[in-house]
Amino acid sequence: MSEHAGDVQALSAILFAIGVFGFLARRNIILMLVSVEIMLNAVNLSLAGFSQQLNNPSGQILALFVIAVAAAEAGIGLGLLIALNRNKPGSGVTDLTKLKW
Amino acid sequence: MTAVFYYMATTSIASAILAVTRKNPVHSMLWVLALFMHVAGIFLLLGAQFLAAVQVIVYAGAILIFYLFVLMLLDLPDEETRPRFGVHWPFAAAIGLSFAALAWLAKVETLDPIGVGEDPPLASLSDVGTALFRPFALPFEIAGLVLLAAIVGAVVLARRRVES
Repeated sequence: MSEHAGDVQALSAILFAIGVFGFLARRNIILMLVSVEIMLNAVNLSLAGFSQQLNNPSGQILALFVIAVAAAEAGIGLGLLIALNRNKPGSGVTDLTKLKW
Repeated sequence: MTAVFYYMATTSIASAILAVTRKNPVHSMLWVLALFMHVAGIFLLLGAQFLAAVQVIVYAGAILIFYLFVLMLLDLPDEETRPRFGVHWPFAAAIGLSFAALAWLAKVETLDPIGVGEDPPLASLSDVGTALFRPFALPFEIAGLVLLAAIVGAVVLARRRVES
């Protein structure tokens, strides 16, 4: 499996790039948050790949912490979204221009 | 083993691309579910069995269902009619492609596999648990505190304020 080390990192980079594209291009807050989850998942893949390549379980532990932080981020982000939706229905970021100069 | 890895890799890339480009948000969520399942398969191939289980239980089972709940709770009738990308989406695509190209160069230049030939022993569940409770005990407790703060914060944020 060691010969896959570079391939795992390349796959992680491609998934991260797709997440970056989704976060920057989509205009829906929920899908932007999901793009962040795709990016976090790509980072977990990279950590697991290095953990296997260097034969060190610390990478897996770090990936577990990333998953915990992702769960916290999803809870807070969607709580904010529900609070926002109560005041101003719709989940497109182009509607939210109140703080724009 | 190699064929399984490349199947997982191509399917996860295709699912991720479909997830960020579908117009219907529920379809996007289902493609993200496919992506998470295939990434869990890659974790299994990398010998991270516990991480694969956590990926399926926490990511696919909890976080994604949470997103789907909120998506269906908020009524979004005009979502299918408005443009799915902002006007600046070519710049976003350029940034994503340049990042992928950069990381690809890094892979080709520097990422030589370490220890080719000998098969490294896989980190078992007991190794992960021992590491989690001995050297990583403080970060583990801090992660618990972060989750507690997130729970309280989400309740406070999403609560309906009663005018008294």
